[in-house]
Amino acid sequence: MYNKKNKNLTPYAFIAPHLILFIIFFAIPAVFGIFISFTNWNIMSSPKWVGFQNYYEILLNKDSTFYMQFHNGLKNTVMFVIFTVPVSIITALSVALALNAKPKGNKFFQSLFYLPSLLSISSVILTWHFLFNRNLGPINNIFNLKINWYGQQPFTWIAIVIITVWWGIGGNMVIYQAALASIPKELYEAADLDGAGAIIKFFKITLPSMKNQLTYTVIMTTIAQFNIYGQPLMFSKGGPKGSTYVLLMYIRQLAFGSGESIAGLASAMAVMLGLCIISVSSLQFFLLRNND
Amino acid sequence: MNRKLKVIVSCALAIMMIASLVGCGSTTTSSKKDSKEIIFWSVFTGPDGENMNRMIEEYNNTNPEYKVKHRPIQADEMYQRIPTMVSSGKDIPDLTIVHAERVALFAENEMIMPLDSYIDKNGTIKQENYVTSGWNIGGLNGSRYSIPLDVHSFVTYYNKDLLAKYGPNVLDDNVITLDEIREVGELSKKDEITSMGITWMRVKFLSWYEQLGGKLSEDGTNPSFNNPQAEKVLDDIKGLVTNGYANQDGEDTGQLFRSGQLVFWPEGIWMQNSLKEIKDLNWGMAHLVTFDPAKKVNWTSSHQFTMLKNPSMTDEKAEGIMNFINWIGENSLEWAKAGQVPASLKILENEEFNKMPHAFLLKEQESLSISGYKYFGFAAEALDKIVWETVFDKMDIKEGLEQAEKETLDRIAASKKQ
Repeated sequence: MYNKKNKNLTPYAFIAPHLILFIIFFAIPAVFGIFISFTNWNIMSSPKWVGFQNYYEILLNKDSTFYMQFHNGLKNTVMFVIFTVPVSIITALSVALALNAKPKGNKFFQSLFYLPSLLSISSVILTWHFLFNRNLGPINNIFNLKINWYGQQPFTWIAIVIITVWWGIGGNMVIYQAALASIPKELYEAADLDGAGAIIKFFKITLPSMKNQLTYTVIMTTIAQFNIYGQPLMFSKGGPKGSTYVLLMYIRQLAFGSGESIAGLASAMAVMLGLCIISVSSLQFFLLRNND
Repeated sequence: MNRKLKVIVSCALAIMMIASLVGCGSTTTSSKKDSKEIIFWSVFTGPDGENMNRMIEEYNNTNPEYKVKHRPIQADEMYQRIPTMVSSGKDIPDLTIVHAERVALFAENEMIMPLDSYIDKNGTIKQENYVTSGWNIGGLNGSRYSIPLDVHSFVTYYNKDLLAKYGPNVLDDNVITLDEIREVGELSKKDEITSMGITWMRVKFLSWYEQLGGKLSEDGTNPSFNNPQAEKVLDDIKGLVTNGYANQDGEDTGQLFRSGQLVFWPEGIWMQNSLKEIKDLNWGMAHLVTFDPAKKVNWTSSHQFTMLKNPSMTDEKAEGIMNFINWIGENSLEWAKAGQVPASLKILENEEFNKMPHAFLLKEQESLSISGYKYFGFAAEALDKIVWETVFDKMDIKEGLEQAEKETLDRIAASKKQ
């Protein structure tokens, strides 16, 4: 009897640390957030139940500022995801491939590429803000340009994408390096014997062998980029003309701006963003898994 | 054996996790009823925090019954924590610095306590000892909710050498007008020197709009800034940009001023310490640029002492808090050195303060304008989205003002349903 009980508890004991953190920092806030999205709440008094009113306001009421903000914010967020995810994946993969060829100093370059991932968003933006400075920045000076990167499209998007890719390249790169290292050499040798070129080897051996890692990174990168906030907030302040005002900026301002909190509407927007992330990631997972 | 060990280890891990999480909740900020310590939360996380620490150290050295413990905390984080903290009734700081614009909202939602009885008991904290605009912001519906620590304004820094060259007579009346900005700009732009910097547009807009007689809200509730006065402000500043008197979008005005390529730099008085480090920059400080020399308006905010609603506050401790606030008011030179204008008029008796560049603000305190509009936060954030864009011609002025007023109105309506 004692033994049996013991056996049943062991797995739970092992997952307990993660489970507890997950419940406290994710599950409870998520459920609470969904509940709040059906209420009017200013954080200070008690929430009032209003059903789907907040969702009506942001999804259907075209006269409302919040409708405009939600749609503009979501549009900009999706645009950012579309711009950034492919570039992030391709650059990280290219760097991993290059490093995998073991050029001289590859360990040094590996650390160099990984380094930005360790920095906080504030220091990243501070650095790039200077690099993209209109008059004094090296980028404009080296290329002899007069571009206002902080507030002129499409340059603002280009700058934000460059910053994001540079910042996040390390995480995916390490995963790809591990994946590349585990591909059996025999496969390439066999392909050599059959006279396959580098491109064919890449598409027929390398990519298929890394499928799991690619699926994982594509989904994780997409989720991460949907949560974009710091880059446009600090780099372009949402401009020019609100074209880089992403959804999280509106959400945060509504909930924790300098006026009274409108947490219900902010939560409704956040739930919609969550639904978008879930559906896009599921679609990606479904498509990539069924590729076989 | 092995399995047993695993169970023990994992259980121990889980317990540690739980214990550490429990630890998160009970931080050391808690002040028990009988503790002889005043926990003081402020938003001074920058270099000004050092000045505050020095003042508090000096106060504690006078051996008061209740010593003060300073905890600087990021403003955003503090404002997020206050509502949950107050509703839980636990770990509430005894004394908290709140920005002037938040006082009305916090008072209405009963986040902060009226201080009248404590002030009466103290006897030395009086309206006549404080700068009027800073004092008035804490009085609501016949009760007093806050006491000002300082006032901080948005003014104009000018480069003395450049001004001598391009506009030697501009400061004859101690005021810089927009017309003078244009005159100086006409001369200076030939040498590729910019006349005025476009800096934090929100507060400059508010000052200029008020100079022209505009109000954020005519009735105190609904926004009313989509009007010809607001249009004139934005249109005039846009004109400065188009004519090359002001900087172009994306140019770093602080850098231009520091390197001697900008004559007038509108900025906050709190920026002065960063200029003192530059040896060959000869600068002065004046009122914010005006439309009409007869009407000076300097947008101003204020740090206010408040007491968050706290059921375990005792009269004795409150007395200690009032003594501390009063002491700060009487010994605020250190705070002036941080680049702020102390709200206590006692500082005017201090010679060292009178020599400081920002002392003129206290002598002309009718020029200080602090917004008491209840929905200031909504209006300010809505204006932020359009003032910069319209001045740099990325957005139509009328369209921008319409959008900002509507956003303010919609947020007020949403907040009223709560």
